[in-house]
Amino acid sequence: MDLRDSFRNATRAIWAAKMRSFLTMLGIIIGIAAVVMLMAVGNGTKQSILSRMQSSGSGNLYLTAGARSNVLMGGNPEGGAGGFAASRAGVSSGAEITAQDLTYIEARVTYSVVVSPTNQTNITIKNGNTTMSGTGIFATPTYFQVENVTIADGRMISDGDVSNRTRNVVIGNTVQTTLFPNESAVGQLIRINGASYKVVGVAASKGETVGSSVDTAIVLPFSVGEKSFGIAHNRVQRTTIECVDPTQTKVVIAEITDILTLKHKKVDFTIQDVAAMTALVTSSMTILTTLLAAIGGLSLLVGGIGIMNIMLVSVTERTREIGIRKALGARERDILVQFLIESSLLSISGGILGIVVSVLGSDFVVSRFTTTAVTGSSILLAVGFSIAVGVFFGVYPARTAARLKPVEALRYE
Amino acid sequence: MSLIAFSDIRKVYTIGAVTIDALAGVSFDIGEHEFVAIMGPSGSGKSTLMHILGCLDAPTSGAYRLEDYDVSQLRSNDLARIRNRDIGFVFQAYNLLPHLSALENVLLPCTYSTHAVSGRDEKARALELLERIGLKDRMYNRPVEMSGGEQQRVAIARALMMNPPVILADEPTGNLNSKGAREILDIMKELHADGKTIVYVTHDDTIGAEAERVIRIQDGRVVADERN
Ligand SMILES: Nc1ncnc2c1ncn2[C@@H]1O[C@H](COP(=O)(O)OP(=O)(O)OP(=O)(O)O)[C@@H](O)[C@H]1O
Ligand SMILES: [Mg+2]
Repeated sequence: MDLRDSFRNATRAIWAAKMRSFLTMLGIIIGIAAVVMLMAVGNGTKQSILSRMQSSGSGNLYLTAGARSNVLMGGNPEGGAGGFAASRAGVSSGAEITAQDLTYIEARVTYSVVVSPTNQTNITIKNGNTTMSGTGIFATPTYFQVENVTIADGRMISDGDVSNRTRNVVIGNTVQTTLFPNESAVGQLIRINGASYKVVGVAASKGETVGSSVDTAIVLPFSVGEKSFGIAHNRVQRTTIECVDPTQTKVVIAEITDILTLKHKKVDFTIQDVAAMTALVTSSMTILTTLLAAIGGLSLLVGGIGIMNIMLVSVTERTREIGIRKALGARERDILVQFLIESSLLSISGGILGIVVSVLGSDFVVSRFTTTAVTGSSILLAVGFSIAVGVFFGVYPARTAARLKPVEALRYE
Repeated sequence: MSLIAFSDIRKVYTIGAVTIDALAGVSFDIGEHEFVAIMGPSGSGKSTLMHILGCLDAPTSGAYRLEDYDVSQLRSNDLARIRNRDIGFVFQAYNLLPHLSALENVLLPCTYSTHAVSGRDEKARALELLERIGLKDRMYNRPVEMSGGEQQRVAIARALMMNPPVILADEPTGNLNSKGAREILDIMKELHADGKTIVYVTHDDTIGAEAERVIRIQDGRVVADERN
């Protein structure tokens, strides 16, 4: 019996019992949709976390005060607004990083690095009657380089601003649109915590990133922090160190650790590596995605059992037909193939419908709540799985049919 | 050499502690172009015999030779090929597939044929057979849309599709009125005249009387074997 005939027979048999076939497929539709959608959520979450982490450059290191016994992921050590604040367990009190430490490091590290010391505090920003709260970031010009912050309008904080403690600021995109909806803020005066500052530049929008977003921040000259915001003299909360050659990150970490341990005579600081954190996130999100897919896979299993059940019913119902076909010369293989094609067709159609449902579902429904990404590989996986389910759960009923003895099948009422 | 040789064929059914000797040692030869009726009371073993002849069932013991094949030694694929090419089987209950048209039912054996024939040739032959049994205009009808006699004629056309040398019919007229039975008998006689070997089972003496040879069975044994 050629394959075309088999397919025609199978579609005919499926079509003859439309409602039953559809209900059987529903198990596969739900199973495949669950797998694809759950994987879409997993992949989407992974991609969004990674894009936030990588927006600040993957060769970056973060140096903060306090030795931490249990550091999982970095972020903003003071605020933790990004949701990935490092565990604070084991911070030794009194430890701090000073501007002298940084000069000391820069002078001794063998590979070239760009050092960006920052302090942060929450601030209130006001223009006329409009007030908003935001983050004040006290930084040097290197901040813009290491954090990949570009200027949309005006200029950056200059070295002169830092050494002269000039009250010049660069504002984030959200600050610009909130306080100056109709005009450029550059050259305007704003009030921060009651004092007057001059806007010299507006940063281009970066969207949400790990830690605080530059969009709702104001970048002030580093030295202004201790003069007007009560930040302890010389203290640096967080230092971003960019390795000019990202492949040497590991060596640079080791060097800085040695240099600073020697200077402080103990390990009272923490260096976090964005690339290492990224790898950690990638692997843990892959585990999460696999877990989600496995949960979806369970419903696929249930769908497969549904197919097996309906195929067994179908074999019983069509026992006489099988007997007739055998009497006319059908071999065991012909009957086996006929029923296998039927079960595979059921599960493949279910799988295709399931993919349609999941693509629509994740684009229009799930994406309202969380980031989703339907990947080609998850669709391939779904198709492969539904074929496998059809064949696997079809084999037993098909063999039962193929092995029926002609007389016995013909006698069946 | 005879076409069919049955020697000491036995078929024993065991149901729990009870054993039934449906066939208790049957031997006979049937030559080419013979026209044979098998007769006997109900339960005497006629259908059991026909199923073994038609390679639909295997005997408990005994030797069965069909043409050059030692059927008792064959495996399931070879038996399927014999059912497809060497034997046309006609059942009392017609056994057409209800969801297929008359034409599709007649074409059904081709789908299990191992040698390739073009689809157009197959269809031409099926139409020729339907024409021969006088049902060409009913080719798109499904079995439920036909009378018993018409269905049985379609079943005969199906049995002829692969042009087998042997036609076996187990009470082909059993469900039909006398007019329908007559038509079937006439077709079988025609086929015999064309050179087919025909073996049929009947209860009806007048229908049995039309055969060239009558084998009578009782309690699983041949009790008479006469030529008319
Ligand atoms: N599958 C079976 N299991 C057990 N016994 C069977 C089976 N098939 C047939 N028999 C028994 O074998 C004997 C012969 O049955 P068979 O059907 O061959 O008779 P028959 O001559 O065709 O009868 P009828 O004229 O009523 O069709 C009967 O006693 C029957 O009960
Ligand atoms: Mg019978």
